[in-house]
Amino acid sequence: MGTHDNRIWVWHKALAFLSGAALLLGATSLFAQQDWIRTGTGLGVEKVRLAVPDFKASSSDGRNGDLLKAFNDTLWNDLDNAGIFDMVSKSFYPLRQPSSPNEVSFGDWNIPPPNASMLAFGGLGASGDNVTVQGWLFDLKNTSSPQVLAKQYQDKATTDNARIIAHKFADEIIFRLGGGIQGIAESKIVFISTRSGHKEVWSMDYDGANQQQLTKLGSISLSPRISPDGSRVAFSSIVGSSWQILLYSLDLGRTVAFPRFGGTNVSPAWAPDGTRIAFSSSQSGDPELYVADNAGHNLKRVTTSPGPDVSPVWNPKTGAQLAFVSGRSGLPQIYTMEADGTNVQKLTDQGYAVSPSWSPNGQFLVFSWMRKYGPGAPGAQDIYIMDIVSRQWVQLTHDGGRNDFPSWSPDGRHIVFQSSRSGSEQIWSMLADGSNVRQLTTSGGNSQPNWSWK
Amino acid sequence: MAATDIYLEHAPWKRPLLWSLGLHGGLCAFIVFYTAVFAHGRGEIWGSGGGGDAMSAMIVSSIPLPANEQQTQNVLANESKGLTQSQPKVEEKEPEAIAIPDKETKQTHAKKPSIEKNKPQPEPETNQIPYGEGGPVHGPYAAFNAGGAQGGFSFSGGSGDFGSRFSWYVQVVQRKVSENWMKYEVDPNVRDGRRVYITFEVARNGAPKNVQIEQSSGIPSLDYSAVRAIQRIDTFGPLPSDYAGSSVGVEFWFDYKH
Repeated sequence: MGTHDNRIWVWHKALAFLSGAALLLGATSLFAQQDWIRTGTGLGVEKVRLAVPDFKASSSDGRNGDLLKAFNDTLWNDLDNAGIFDMVSKSFYPLRQPSSPNEVSFGDWNIPPPNASMLAFGGLGASGDNVTVQGWLFDLKNTSSPQVLAKQYQDKATTDNARIIAHKFADEIIFRLGGGIQGIAESKIVFISTRSGHKEVWSMDYDGANQQQLTKLGSISLSPRISPDGSRVAFSSIVGSSWQILLYSLDLGRTVAFPRFGGTNVSPAWAPDGTRIAFSSSQSGDPELYVADNAGHNLKRVTTSPGPDVSPVWNPKTGAQLAFVSGRSGLPQIYTMEADGTNVQKLTDQGYAVSPSWSPNGQFLVFSWMRKYGPGAPGAQDIYIMDIVSRQWVQLTHDGGRNDFPSWSPDGRHIVFQSSRSGSEQIWSMLADGSNVRQLTTSGGNSQPNWSWK
Repeated sequence: MAATDIYLEHAPWKRPLLWSLGLHGGLCAFIVFYTAVFAHGRGEIWGSGGGGDAMSAMIVSSIPLPANEQQTQNVLANESKGLTQSQPKVEEKEPEAIAIPDKETKQTHAKKPSIEKNKPQPEPETNQIPYGEGGPVHGPYAAFNAGGAQGGFSFSGGSGDFGSRFSWYVQVVQRKVSENWMKYEVDPNVRDGRRVYITFEVARNGAPKNVQIEQSSGIPSLDYSAVRAIQRIDTFGPLPSDYAGSSVGVEFWFDYKH
């Protein structure tokens, strides 16, 4: 009896040790996996320590209070959301806060506790019809020539304009310190919302502010995609009794002409030069991918195999490849191919993978994947990121709910997606490594977001 | 013929039955007794009791990666001011003794000779870190450090003071190159102590060009990993508008540490 017990005990110990070792190895390889995402998306491993004290009033106008609040909140959120700064917490700031260059006392800021490398400060003042904002960005470690940026903005004195100026200044800082990648503070997201009673196309700022209805068709509209120049939104909608591709002009405020095709026509996608649109059409009986010019003419079919082919997305860097979803091998999987239909490659090989989105630098795809699909499977649907060349993938969302329709931001550092984790379908955004998940919409049912190109 | 034995006597079941009843009864009585006495008449509700040693997960905004090992070139201790500000020294002078000259910061680590004539040498101020010392870049001098390699940058162009006038741009270049350098591209058999010198130019729009290996480390995979790090980068961001030149030359060297 004694030796038998001993053997069981030893076996349990060995098992515990092995599983602990496996977990540890798994954990370290997970860290290594996250590094290649951070490098490829420009999130970086080293973040700049940036201090942003509130801008101060530079005139004695009663409106300054509201304007300053809108400006300061927006500026802080934009810089915090950028993903490349380590924002110094406001509780560490010294009591004397500068609003002009001669008020900056370097010794207050570049030592602990603030220990900041960069300082963004300035003043805002309304007078008459206009508001003027002056902002500076200082390099705190270079006392001899600290100025990196000095900007002045002027516009009509409204809180909306204060917000726009804050977006502009934040983008300027992100552009300089982020290595030439344009900030996203002025970008927009188009999405579908049911809050008017029907599924219509809406747009909002990248941080969820300013949500506005675009279409009023009273039908069901899906998969909006904004054009590269930001002037039009392509989407699919039920027209009469069939699904058609429609174009909505943001400049004109109405839909513009696009040819009607037979069958079911869905999921339009703009090429990065804005001259072509790819979409899925079942006019030949089986849903295949077609490419047309941006007026809908010169239609060319690019897929031929049986099985539905839908959800195309162009490579934004080259404009010469398409990623798409195909059911040609059974369940939907992600494929890539050249824009003329050659060189089809399969990227996923299990479960149910849909909704690809190609990163602006051409390196990554994000998509929605149910890796375990079928009866008895847990059925979790999460957003995954895959490096196209190496086929390595990492799961980005873990917190439950059904996560779908991811879309890249133009700086390649953020992803917007729809998730049911809060109980209803809402739009969320996160950094491209899966951190910093924020909810953007709250009312009604909101889905299928698409981020603008700039 | 197989005989089936029919036993006329009954199987003895009375005693085993009594034993069974007795033990079952005893068990029930024990359970009742236990709940009454030790659990005070109530049972534990499932899930109460705090979950024992269950781990809890916290949502963090970023995965806390371990910091890179910071190694400076200097192995000898010296009087450099390092990262923090030192207290002002109290001078103790003995009238008879001959004052020993202070050993100020001596650049003891090897520097490439041709860098000397290009490199700006401004006065080290109290809050600046001398070249090659201290940890990761928090100063205008570009020390390059990327999990396995460390080295330095120097910028040539304009009147030779690009590095001190536009230190923020130097930092952007340093960050981007160190982010894009992939350690796995170097042959794993390589050990320490190999240095490669790379030069490139940054155009007005921030794009790196003319990437050259100025002096090879002798290991092709190390040389090319450095070249590829720079080729991977599309842009560093436009050159500062205050800078008058059309491009700026960058020299960078690094030592590979396995």
